[in-house]
Amino acid sequence: MFEFLFKYPFAAFHTGQLVLLGAWPKWLLPVLILLTAAGLALYLRRTRLRAAPTLQSWRLPVIGLLEWLTAAVLLVLLWQPALVVTELEPRQNIIAILVDDSRSMNQVESGSTREEQAVRALQSGVLPKLQQNFQTRLYRFDTHLSRIAGPTELGPAAAPATHIGASLEQLMTQTGDLPLGAVVLLSDGGDNTGGVDRHAIDALRNRRVPVYTVGFGAERVAQDVEIEDVVVASRVLAGSRLSATVKFQQRGYGGQKSTLTVRDGGQVLSSREITFAPDGSVQTESLLFNIGPAGAKTLQFVVEPLASETNRANNTLSRLVNVDPDPRRILYFEGEPRWEYKFIRRAAEDDRMIQLVSMLRTTENKIYRQGVSGSHELADGFPSSASDLFGYEALIIGSVDAGYFTPTQQQLIRDFVDRRGGGLLLLGGRQSLADGVWGGSKVADLLPVILPDGRDTFHRDPATVSLTAAGADSVITRLVDDSAANTERWRRLPYLMDYQDPGRPKPGAAVLAEMHSGQRAMPLLVTESYGRGRTAVLATGGTWRWQMSLPLGDKSHDLFWQQLLRWLVSDTRGRLIASAPKATLLDDGQVQITADVRDNEYHAAADALVTARLIGPTGLTAALAFDPVPNSPGRFKADWAAPTPGLYVTELTARRGAEDIGTDVVTFQRLDGVAENFHTEQNRALLEGLAASTGGRYMRPAELASLPREIPYSQAGITVQQIKELWNMPIAFLVILLLRACEWLLRRKWGVV
Amino acid sequence: MRLRRLHRLTALLLGLGFGLAAPYYLRAAYSQDPDPQNEKAEFYWSRLRYTSSAVGRGGGFGFGYGYGYGYGYAGWARDYPKADRQFLLALKRLTRIQMRPVEQIVDLNSDDIFNYPWVYAVQVANWTFSDAQAQRLREYLLKGGFLMVDDFHGTADWDRFMAGMRQVLPDLPVEDLSDSDEIFHVLYDLGERFQVPGEQYVNTGRTYEKDGYVPKWRAIRDSKGRIIVAICHNMHLGDAWEWADMPEYPENFASMAYRVGLNYIVYGMTH
Repeated sequence: MFEFLFKYPFAAFHTGQLVLLGAWPKWLLPVLILLTAAGLALYLRRTRLRAAPTLQSWRLPVIGLLEWLTAAVLLVLLWQPALVVTELEPRQNIIAILVDDSRSMNQVESGSTREEQAVRALQSGVLPKLQQNFQTRLYRFDTHLSRIAGPTELGPAAAPATHIGASLEQLMTQTGDLPLGAVVLLSDGGDNTGGVDRHAIDALRNRRVPVYTVGFGAERVAQDVEIEDVVVASRVLAGSRLSATVKFQQRGYGGQKSTLTVRDGGQVLSSREITFAPDGSVQTESLLFNIGPAGAKTLQFVVEPLASETNRANNTLSRLVNVDPDPRRILYFEGEPRWEYKFIRRAAEDDRMIQLVSMLRTTENKIYRQGVSGSHELADGFPSSASDLFGYEALIIGSVDAGYFTPTQQQLIRDFVDRRGGGLLLLGGRQSLADGVWGGSKVADLLPVILPDGRDTFHRDPATVSLTAAGADSVITRLVDDSAANTERWRRLPYLMDYQDPGRPKPGAAVLAEMHSGQRAMPLLVTESYGRGRTAVLATGGTWRWQMSLPLGDKSHDLFWQQLLRWLVSDTRGRLIASAPKATLLDDGQVQITADVRDNEYHAAADALVTARLIGPTGLTAALAFDPVPNSPGRFKADWAAPTPGLYVTELTARRGAEDIGTDVVTFQRLDGVAENFHTEQNRALLEGLAASTGGRYMRPAELASLPREIPYSQAGITVQQIKELWNMPIAFLVILLLRACEWLLRRKWGVV
Repeated sequence: MRLRRLHRLTALLLGLGFGLAAPYYLRAAYSQDPDPQNEKAEFYWSRLRYTSSAVGRGGGFGFGYGYGYGYGYAGWARDYPKADRQFLLALKRLTRIQMRPVEQIVDLNSDDIFNYPWVYAVQVANWTFSDAQAQRLREYLLKGGFLMVDDFHGTADWDRFMAGMRQVLPDLPVEDLSDSDEIFHVLYDLGERFQVPGEQYVNTGRTYEKDGYVPKWRAIRDSKGRIIVAICHNMHLGDAWEWADMPEYPENFASMAYRVGLNYIVYGMTH
């Protein structure tokens, strides 16, 4: 229709430049249009008294406006408007036709696969018409490009991944010295790299090659469940209780039930029933499970497929979790004998991954040590050097006045959290928090609360407890799996033996639990991240009463403390921290492993030597050498490519002269073909974006017939400039006829004809 | 003659009145604080009140609250409250434990005992438990409570003590503590100890009672090896605390008794 009305395809107007071919001066056109308007206005003003009575209101200017528009269109046509367009020289240029050959094109819709639909579309006349004026080259692409002789060589689509950007870049390279006029890309838009990168777009733009994209596949599937993401800690202690957040979307099953499961190999770690939210909405569910013994584990999160669900492969997503076998050491300094100390120790004794080293001021001049590795450990009191304090992963400070610690020790505690990345927990007590004047110490900035002014904030009175919304799902406060049941469980816990007003939580801090004394509610457990570490305040010394008051065998007290202690140390790393940007490499084995190395005071160790030994599937081994990262002291990197799918374990070692800094392990897995099962709906946005950014156009398969007429308007390849006259466009005459018809109809309606 | 009778009657009445009022005077003498019972603290010296087989035939907990001066023969109240309060003075002076200056009586008839994780019991040769009381004490100990028993002597007392203990913890063995055990080093190093006699030593010079010639430092541990019942057999630490201010009572006995008591409390608050 566009071409019928405007004489030329849309592409001509999109790429062409509008000019006036008439010999008269161009400035005269707007002048005449304005003069016509003025003359008509003057004429109507003079004749309005003689006009019919029905026209003596606003109707006369309307008639005048229609006549002026008619005159303006005629004047424009007299000046001979035309388009200057750049067209491909017939039979001199190449048109590249790229057909997606990845597995997602094998989806059956309306009785045939997407790839079959693409082949049919090409063979239904488009290809012969293009070949009349251009040399065509046919390619299939997945992660790379392959030239084929004809459409019959396509299919069945089976490639495990699609890299549109890489394929286009490859095309640009291969045709660098050829007159490439345009690219036609037939695809469902499923790209496993997350989109077409800047390099590919730039390569196309530099040669002004337009990409015409033709989208195949339904833009919205009728019935499907797809897991979009799973968030779970990538590194945990053995035996940890983990919380995973599973994000998924479904269509066609709103209100129905299914089961969310996490498996480690064949073993089901946890499973629970879920009810689907309304169609199309993103749903988030959490799942709690025990990770079990140490090792690298590939967890599979599954939403059990429903009846009539065709694509079941996108119901499963895997995540890699490194389960650390080494226990963590926590230093607990307590200023006076009290029950909380005893019962924290007893809870920690039941967790073999936690070594609680404690110092207790039994008298003014005696400190009783427990859990020390030898008589020398902490023999001189609380550590006064970074190398001594930083050997622990977390620090608990009980009922002890801030003034007990020297300024140097206070600074060490601050550095322990900020620089070393340790966890810090302050407990309530008669010499704690505000009563211990911690608000004026160097540690005050670290605390997740703004302590109240003054003292007398500690009270030996009962306080009941409750969870906040944040606490209901926290791994620290999770006593039972179900969130609502957990909240109720906390509400029914015995009262605390004492409480302390911790003040106000700082912005960014999370209040996980509250306590209530009379009508007053106060934060009980507040956490936040600080620097490389994390801090928490538990504003009581009376949780021990849970252990003594709950029935024998109830694990609430111990579980809470074990989870709190594990949270304190879970993200505290050693002097060598190895990391990979992604734990799962989809279809591409390229990975850069990074190592951050610190000296014994946790300053960057720029002069370290980092090596790694890598073990892959089927007995593959490799040695990696790390290079320093410029402008990042203490950071080293090594690039490597995983050749085959499977699990890769990399053990890094760092040395500094004769000093052995430590080791760390990073694991990653390469999965091929998995990404093709996800986002199987047509990614129209990607295809439209690619076309728009290169000067091409997105088309539905039904519009493909217009491609041979549009494609010549390209500035790439061998081109020639053409002038396309516009004065004889049907639309111009239609407009004039329409204006006149409107005027006639209005006059007739108003009774002046 | 009549006057003499009147004097005798008056003396008898005065004596009787004084005798009856004596406990209240003595109690007041140890209650200098206007209201120490209401003081809130981290540590409460808790004395276990139990049913005594020797005097318990009348039911309840014996004859009222015998205060140790020959009044009342309820075994649980032996040396009470002077021993308790004199020990608490030492506890306050020698440790950083924040404690109430007066004792707390706890019994096994209510769950209130679970608020006091350390409890002291004397004359335990005479204790008896109902099934419910034994069950409560068992749960108390296995949840984390600590029991120190004192002042029972000889073979017969031991057998009667164990009869009660087997009601509470039928399966856990009793063991003799070695000198190197942590409980003897948690605050003071008490590697070498000796028998601490009761007040009778002042008059007799004997350090033992009945056939309890050798002090037995024994304990029952939980499944993790932590002492939950500390047994002081063939000794009388309570008397040593009580008579520490008596010039005739040897200082070395009182000193040992205090140190043992302090160690047992610190151990109970740390293990």
